[in-house]
This record gives sequence, C-alpha cells and structure tokens, in this order.
Amino acid sequence: MGNFENNISLEFDRFNNNSADSWISSHRADTFGKFKSLGVPKLTDEDWRFTNLADFSSKSYSLNNKASDIFDKRLIPEILKDIDGHFIILVNGKLVEYSSDNFQVHDLSKMLQENECSFKNLIKGSFSDKNQDFSFFLNSAFLDRGCFIEIDSSINVEKPIVILNFFDSNAEMSLVNHRNIISISTSSSVKIIEYSFAVNDIDYFSNKSTFFYLNDNSKVEHLSIDDGSKNSNIFSNIKIMQGRDSNFTTDTILIGGKLFRNNVHPILNGEGSNSNVLGLYLSKDSQLMDNYMFVEHAKAHCDSRQLYKGLLNDYSKGVFHGRILVHNEAQKTDAKQTNRNLLLSNTAQVDTKPQLEIYADDVKCTHGATTGQIDKEALYYLRARGINEDLARIMMIRSFTEEVLEFISDDILLGLHKKVVERWFVESNLISGD
Amino acid sequence: MLEIVNLHAKIEDKEILKGLTLKIDKGEVHSIMGPNGSGKSTLASILAGKEDYEITEGDIIFNGESILEMSPEERAQEGVFLAFQYPIEIPGVSNSYFLREALNSIRKSKGKAPLKPVEFIKIAKEKIKDLKMNESLLNRSLNEGFSGGEKKRNEILQMSILDPMMAILDETDSGLDIDALQIVADGVNALKNDEKSFLVITHYQRLLNYIVPDYVHVLVAGRIVKSGDKSLALELESKGYSWLEG
Repeated sequence: MGNFENNISLEFDRFNNNSADSWISSHRADTFGKFKSLGVPKLTDEDWRFTNLADFSSKSYSLNNKASDIFDKRLIPEILKDIDGHFIILVNGKLVEYSSDNFQVHDLSKMLQENECSFKNLIKGSFSDKNQDFSFFLNSAFLDRGCFIEIDSSINVEKPIVILNFFDSNAEMSLVNHRNIISISTSSSVKIIEYSFAVNDIDYFSNKSTFFYLNDNSKVEHLSIDDGSKNSNIFSNIKIMQGRDSNFTTDTILIGGKLFRNNVHPILNGEGSNSNVLGLYLSKDSQLMDNYMFVEHAKAHCDSRQLYKGLLNDYSKGVFHGRILVHNEAQKTDAKQTNRNLLLSNTAQVDTKPQLEIYADDVKCTHGATTGQIDKEALYYLRARGINEDLARIMMIRSFTEEVLEFISDDILLGLHKKVVERWFVESNLISGD
Repeated sequence: MLEIVNLHAKIEDKEILKGLTLKIDKGEVHSIMGPNGSGKSTLASILAGKEDYEITEGDIIFNGESILEMSPEERAQEGVFLAFQYPIEIPGVSNSYFLREALNSIRKSKGKAPLKPVEFIKIAKEKIKDLKMNESLLNRSLNEGFSGGEKKRNEILQMSILDPMMAILDETDSGLDIDALQIVADGVNALKNDEKSFLVITHYQRLLNYIVPDYVHVLVAGRIVKSGDKSLALELESKGYSWLEG
C-alpha cells in the first residue's frame, strides 16, 4: 500500500508546486494532508471491508496532464445520438466544448486560477471531514478541472443537459481527477444526464466528484451512466446539498469498469425536501461494484427513498452499504432504504449492509435487503403459459431492473435508462441482439 | 385427445401416483374428485410439465404423441393449459405484457405472426368484459394485489385468451363465492365445443352443477378407483369417500 501513497505524494508535490500561493493551492495542500492521514483503505476499514484495493493501489498512475482539447463528435455513443439536449463535453475531465441555453457553463480550470473567484465556497464544498473518504480528499487535492453549471432562479431548463465525461488515449495509466458542479437557484428545475465512457480498454484511475447545490424549491432529475473501460478503476463522489422544499432524484447505472466505488451523499438541509437515490449495478466477469449511500437528514419534515438494485453475473461482486443519518432536529423524517440483488450465476456474490444512525425521536425509518436468484415458481408459471425458458428469464430480469423507473418522470431519462439496460442484456449474451 | 396410461410418479422418494389410467376424448368434460392427498394436484402439475416429479412408469399421450419429454412451454404450445390452484404473483411483469408474450409464443410455435400490442389489447379487453373483470388489470403486475377469487378468474381469463385444446382446472372453485363461481363457469362453458376437452379437478361437488361433466372419476391414493357419470359426484357428496378408500 505504501507504493501508491509514495507515488501519489510525488505527483502531488510536482502538481501543487506549479500553482502560486492561492486559495486553491492551500485548499489542495490541506486536503492532501487529510488524505495522507487516512491513507488508502484496507480491508480492516469498516467502510471498505468488502472491497479489496490491493490491485488498484499497486499501480503507479501518473497525474493526467496531456492536453486533449478536441472531441470528435462521431465518438458520441449511439445510444445518445438522438437526444435533443445541451451537450457539455469533457475530455479527461477538461471542459472542451458545450452548448447552453438559459443557464451558464463555466470552465472550472479557469475559475480555479481566479484569485477572487466568487464561487470559492461552492467549489470547495463545505462537507464535514468525518464523512469523507480518501478518494474525496484526493479529488480536492488534485482539483484543477471540470465544469461549473449555474442555473439562475425561476428557470426551467427544458431540454436535458447531457454531460459527457470521455476518457481518451491520453488517460492511459493516469489519474483523471475532476469535479462537476451544478448550482440550481430557487424554484428552478433541470434534468441532467451524465455519461462516462472511454476509448478501448485503457487502464485509468477516474476520480470524479459531482456537487449539486439545490436551492429552495428547486427540482433536479439526474441519470448517470458509467460505462468506463473494463480495465479502469472508477471512484465517484456525488454530493447533494438540498435546500427547503427541494426535490432531487438521481439514478446511477454502473456498467463498465473493473472496480467501482460509487459514493452518493445527499444532505437534506432544508425542511420539506425530498431525495430519491436510485441505482442499478450491472456486473459480470470479475467486476466489483461497491455502492456507498449516505443519506443525511439534517432538518425536519424531509423524505428520502433509496432503491438500489444489483444484477450480478459470472464471478462478479457487488457491495451495498446504505447509511442513513438522522440528526436530532430532523423530526418527522421519513426515510426508506431498499437493496435488492439478483444473482444470475452461482459464483456471483453480494454483501449488503444497512447502517441506521437516528438521533431524533419522531421518525420513520425502514430498511430491507434481499439477495436471491430468479424465482423458479415464477419461471415455471411463465413457461406453463407457452413462454420459452430464455424469454421467461429475460422477462423476469427486465422487470427486476424497471422498479427504479417508478421514481423518474422525464421521458428522455426513462427511455435512455431502458435502452442502456437492454444494451447490457445484449452485451452479456442474455438476449440475442435483434 | 389425452391418454394417461398406468402412470406412476414420485417426488423425493415418495410415490404419489400409483398406476393412474385415464382416457379423455375430444369434446369431453371429465372431472376428478378425491380426498386430500390423493394426488389430484400432483396429476395436474405433472400434466403441465412441472419438473419436480419423476415418472417411474407409464406414459402420457396427447394427440397421439407422448409428452413425457416435453418442457412446460412445449406442452402449452401443443395446447395444454393448466389453471393453477394457487396462482403466484410476479411483481414487475404486467398482466398484459405477460399474456401478449404467451400468446405470441404459442402463435410462433404454430407458424403464425405475432399480434401487435394494439391488436392484442383489443382481444384482451373483450375477454375481460366477458369475465366481468376490470380493464385496469392489464397494467397491473401479474396477480399482484389480487384476491384469491380474482386470481382464479385471471386464470380463466388467460385460458380464454390462449384458447387451448385441453384445459385442466386445478381446484378452480376452491374459495370462490357463488357469484364468482358463476362467472368462472360461464367462462369455461363459453369455450366448450366438440374439439376441446376439459379436466376439472375439484374437491367439492358444487362446481359440477355449473360445469357439467360427461364423466366423473374418483382418485384415491394415487389411482382411479371408480368412474361414472355426473351422478357419481352426487353420490360422493352424500356418502363421502370412505366407502371407496381401503
């Protein structure tokens, strides 16, 4: 493990010495120090006990600094081509091009160079250290790129914003570290699709954070599709700060990557707010998909719903850690957490762990998890009606993945979610591609 | 149409059917009655192709062909339909999606083109109306939230849409009140013709006032011990089964 920390320390020294004494360089130094005191987690760390990082931390990733300023539009995945939306394209984390409408898009790398940046606090984020892991501190320590999307108040962005996080060949064996920030002002609404993908099967360490700031009475629907290269290590921290009466729905679909650590952390920080944390982790071969949900109820009268479903094939492994923290002033909290796993092979496995920390006395908090294989009785019933076994299986698997759709209202997001899942079925040879 | 010849079957080393022989011709309605544990549901499951049972002796011949090696879906495609005693719920799979796929799978096996969703919905709605059920069931998950009686009626709805050659009703009347029973019986009777056959497995004589059988058989300890016409059912109702047991 020392290998990774030594290597990354060298990279950091080289990196932060380039920047003059500024608000961001001191923030970087500060957070790098926090990373060092934590180090890379071991299996004895409670929040990482199901995820072995030995292989990941044996690699020497260098900081990505080769410029990739152009993006060939022909690389846009087929599945996104028909979407009528505002495309924001980042290559190796750097903003390369974008289209906007009634909202503003800023290049984070430029903002970080401004000494008097008015968005300093939003960029740094004010999240309590004790709830952050090494990937998040590293993300702050190496922060030099990304995009900042600003939506003013009472604005409804009609077409979805489509953020493409693309990793080109320059990302090979590198740490690609970026942060996307979306700030939605009072009574505004937006739909955001994020699609992460790479060229070929390159090995890279993607360390991305996404900050959502939802001001009072705002509404966001977010669909994130992570289809990285099969040799990549992907760490993602999604943090959401929600104001009064805000509504946030996020649906993450994990598909391509050797190792995933997917941290989602909504903070219900205003009365009457509501958070839906949905996810589908589709794993095969020997992928490992580790999902860490942390729903924080900081104020009263807020609702949250977590619905994470795993579909695991071959020798793959899934982890679901569902943590709910209800602060003592968060009375009348209504929090529900559900994790369901469908094992498609005898060798796939999943670990699921709920963690409820409740400090208020008038709350409703439920959690449940199931893991199993396709229900044989149900399969028999479908077959007894004439449906061939393969079709019966896929009907059951498909319906398993569609439960999360009940929480999404936008047609484009719904359609894309279904198409992505069907594409995975074909790629996994669960159905023929015709 | 259906010939069961000296059928012996067991599940996990327990022999349940011990030499069952039965012949059902086209257009006939047969009823099987018997005490609990006699093997009635086992017979129904075996006919539908449930893989938990082992056939140790005998044969089942449907339309001249042995179906012992056929999978459940092949049997359904050949025209066998089992209305389950305890239909299960399948959350997430809607009634309409399920039925359309079933109907199209059967059509495909006969070389017919699949029905488009619109065409299917039209047919489904007609049948739903005939069975006095609510159209909204089409969008609901299969049997989810249905009462026992609704589930049984849903089995008959499926039967009327899939239009089998041979329908086996496994205690379809159990737990139904008179009104539901009438509707179920009407649904079954509407399908009766010279080409189709029915095997009505029942514990109670009452159903047979509504679905009148041509033949009644009594199944005791895995074998048919007596056969007769519909009057046999009335005899059983007044005398019970003990005179036939042992």
